[in-house]
Amino acid sequence: MNEYIGVAVTFVLAGGIAAAMVVLGSTLGKKNPTPAKLAPFECGKDPFSLPMGRLAIKFYLTAILFILFDVELVFLYPWGVVYRQLGVLGLTEMGVFLGVLMVGFVYAWDNGALDWQ
Amino acid sequence: MNGATTSDLVLLVPELILIGMALALILVARRIRRGPAAVVGTVLAALAAALVSVWFLPNGATTGFGGMIALDGYSQFFKVLIAATLAMAALLSVRTTDGEQVPRAEYHALLLLAATGMMLAASALDLLTLYLALELMTLCSYVLVGATVENPMSNEAAIKYFLLASFASALLLYGISLTYGVTGSTDFAAITSALSEQGVSANPLLLVAVGLVTAGLAFKIAAVPFHAWAPDAYQGAPPPVAAFLAAGAKAAGLAALGRVCLVAFGSQAQVLSVFLAGFAALSIIVGSVVLLSQTDMKRLLAYSSISHAGYALLGLIGGAPEGASATMTYAFFYVFMTLGTFGVIIALGERGENLDGYHGLAAQRPGTAALMLLFLLSLTGIPPTAGFWAKFVVIGSAVRAGYTELAVLAVACSVVSAFIYMRVVVLMYMREPQAPAPARFPVAVSAVLALAALVTLIGGIAPGRFVVWAVPP
Repeated sequence: MNEYIGVAVTFVLAGGIAAAMVVLGSTLGKKNPTPAKLAPFECGKDPFSLPMGRLAIKFYLTAILFILFDVELVFLYPWGVVYRQLGVLGLTEMGVFLGVLMVGFVYAWDNGALDWQ
Repeated sequence: MNGATTSDLVLLVPELILIGMALALILVARRIRRGPAAVVGTVLAALAAALVSVWFLPNGATTGFGGMIALDGYSQFFKVLIAATLAMAALLSVRTTDGEQVPRAEYHALLLLAATGMMLAASALDLLTLYLALELMTLCSYVLVGATVENPMSNEAAIKYFLLASFASALLLYGISLTYGVTGSTDFAAITSALSEQGVSANPLLLVAVGLVTAGLAFKIAAVPFHAWAPDAYQGAPPPVAAFLAAGAKAAGLAALGRVCLVAFGSQAQVLSVFLAGFAALSIIVGSVVLLSQTDMKRLLAYSSISHAGYALLGLIGGAPEGASATMTYAFFYVFMTLGTFGVIIALGERGENLDGYHGLAAQRPGTAALMLLFLLSLTGIPPTAGFWAKFVVIGSAVRAGYTELAVLAVACSVVSAFIYMRVVVLMYMREPQAPAPARFPVAVSAVLALAALVTLIGGIAPGRFVVWAVPP
């Protein structure tokens, strides 16, 4: 336990100094706000738009389709490594797994997720 | 631990039927936008799953998948019950999916998958399998609650439900990890043998683990203080989804809780009874008292379902197999009476969603009013309905376990809750009609009402017929 006391002291000191700087700065410091000082700071330029702009919903669909294939790949790698030990049963199991995943893909395709208009 | 073999798959035939139908519906989703194909398919799959659970499977308890899935009387009972819930919820949905708003095939596929999760939860023998099963159920429920995309209330309900339920899932998962830390296993049998050697006094961490697991499961059955999601979710959800959640999710949660309490944590009955008695007492009081001020029928039934969760928990407090079978009986009858009440609400459409809509219903539709009277009597617990028998067995088991005060409280609170149930009856029978008579009900909804009424009546007159199936784990 003793070896951690140093770490604890460091935490307390670091936190105390940081808090003291903020508190002293905000209480003792001179306040003289002007519109220019209150403007959001962006490398000297006026901000063009909100940081979270609007994105087309199509990107979300693409992301979800990506996850579909990503999950597939995550399971295919370890399966490939032990493929010989698993034998026919492993092959059928992976077939079923891919089949279930593909149902989702077919559904997305069928409902126009791949039409980029 | 061996890998799964084909003989293991036999244990999961009912679930596989439901999954197969769900995948088929998703594949042809675009081609069955119109027509009753999705409803028919779902009901047929539910019937097939129920029949397979009853007849096809080998008699006697077996386990499979390396001891992770059980097939015994307990799981069979809940599988049949959940299949019945699924079929009735699908039949109640005929009107909801009529409009263009709710995509029909996807809606039914989600119902099927949620029911699959419920069935797996009833047969899980491992905390992680249980967790995955309950997650399958809740993930589908989030989407179902928000199924009416254009209704802002439905969206709000789905988001609230999602946030609170994810928090509860985290609690459950944390409890599972602590249990693993204490016992070195997530398997129920291994947990039992590890806990028989060490008690709470030897390992205080166990107290936290048991508390977190029961809290996570209490959320699924909407027991106080984990009930906050239920009124909003039920009110915002399409009515058949609310019915499905009230009946099915409660049955699945009770199934999971029963097996965890009796099998995995069976040796810690004293610790468990403290938590469960607390949840039960709070649920009964809060549910019955807040019930009195409700005017929205779906909110009213949500608070009713909260208080009924408390009554159902009374059976599990003692940690005895008889108590568990009392809880199973309660779950069984509750499913039918709550689906029946929701059925009347759905049948009446817009008018049924508010308490004012019931003014003078008996003069306009005497049959419907009589059915509603039957279901309300059953929810209150008045003979000769199934609700009376259900309350009778759980309160009896609480008395036998030595919780007489709790039993008195339960009886007192059911008297309190009788006020609001009987208020609906008074409105139906003793007031003048204010709205035009409701249109004819769809045949599917009438069928659900008939089945629910039949079980509620037979359960009240000859409960032994159903009670024999309630085999504790």
